[in-house]
Amino acid sequence: MEEEKYIEELVGKRNPFVVPEGYFEQLTDQVMQSLPDRRPRAKTVWLRPVFYAAASVCALFVCATVWLSWPSSSQEDQKGVAEAVQAVQMQQPDDTYFDEAADYMMLDNQAIYACLADY
Amino acid sequence: MEKYDDQLIQQMLTNPETQRQAFEACVRQYGEQLYWQVRKIVLTHDDANDVLQNSFLKAWNGLGSFQGDSKVFTWLSRIAINESLDFLRRSKQRQTVSEDARTVASALQADTYFDGSETEALLQEAIASLPDVQRTVFQLRYFDEMKYSDISQLLGTSEGALKASYHIAVKKITDFFKARD
Repeated sequence: MEEEKYIEELVGKRNPFVVPEGYFEQLTDQVMQSLPDRRPRAKTVWLRPVFYAAASVCALFVCATVWLSWPSSSQEDQKGVAEAVQAVQMQQPDDTYFDEAADYMMLDNQAIYACLADY
Repeated sequence: MEKYDDQLIQQMLTNPETQRQAFEACVRQYGEQLYWQVRKIVLTHDDANDVLQNSFLKAWNGLGSFQGDSKVFTWLSRIAINESLDFLRRSKQRQTVSEDARTVASALQADTYFDGSETEALLQEAIASLPDVQRTVFQLRYFDEMKYSDISQLLGTSEGALKASYHIAVKKITDFFKARD
């Protein structure tokens, strides 16, 4: 390129910039000292609170799920208990029948107590 | 580490146990080369040092994103050039060939760390007046004699577009000098 040659002949390609003495010898140390630590340990410490927060949310979710599903099973249990009590009550002898039996056997209270005292 | 091996360094960079040692090897290997790339864009030593430090810090923090699909130098160079251009945008150092731009040459000649002639200072002034891409392409092609394919990898621009940018940059710089005759 003709214009490129013109610039080259006029100015040349020399690097006119300079650096302070010993700059490049110290550059690597200077750069490395300015870099933060990137050890995995530091990363784990940073992530630990996040891990705990996520675990807490999961635990809450599980508790909420169990809590919400609990009332329906409780109602079933209560219903079952009520039925069982009713069945037991139906099996127990009524006082009416007891009195009728005592009359049939011509027993009064004293005879009953005397009978029970023998045992 | 006696000899720099790019493939080995790439492997070491992915291992948390060895990545610091590998990164140090990269800084030692490419620090000077990257410094000059940055310096030619931002011009002063203090700015170049700041931009270079930031570039390495950015590379270190973004080490996880380095997939090894490009060479370590290409990756670092891309970061350094982007940081340099960001720096220019932030500090509004983009100069035009007007009164503002004239201060570039005079500022360089007053700079302790500039060892060039008046013509060399004027060339830097002309380069500073170019848009970002033309400026970067000119520096990489003219001074570093880098291939268009390599520049394309660095800037993510097609070779055709880079050739056009370089041609325009050369034309503008020539016009700048001819206008001064």
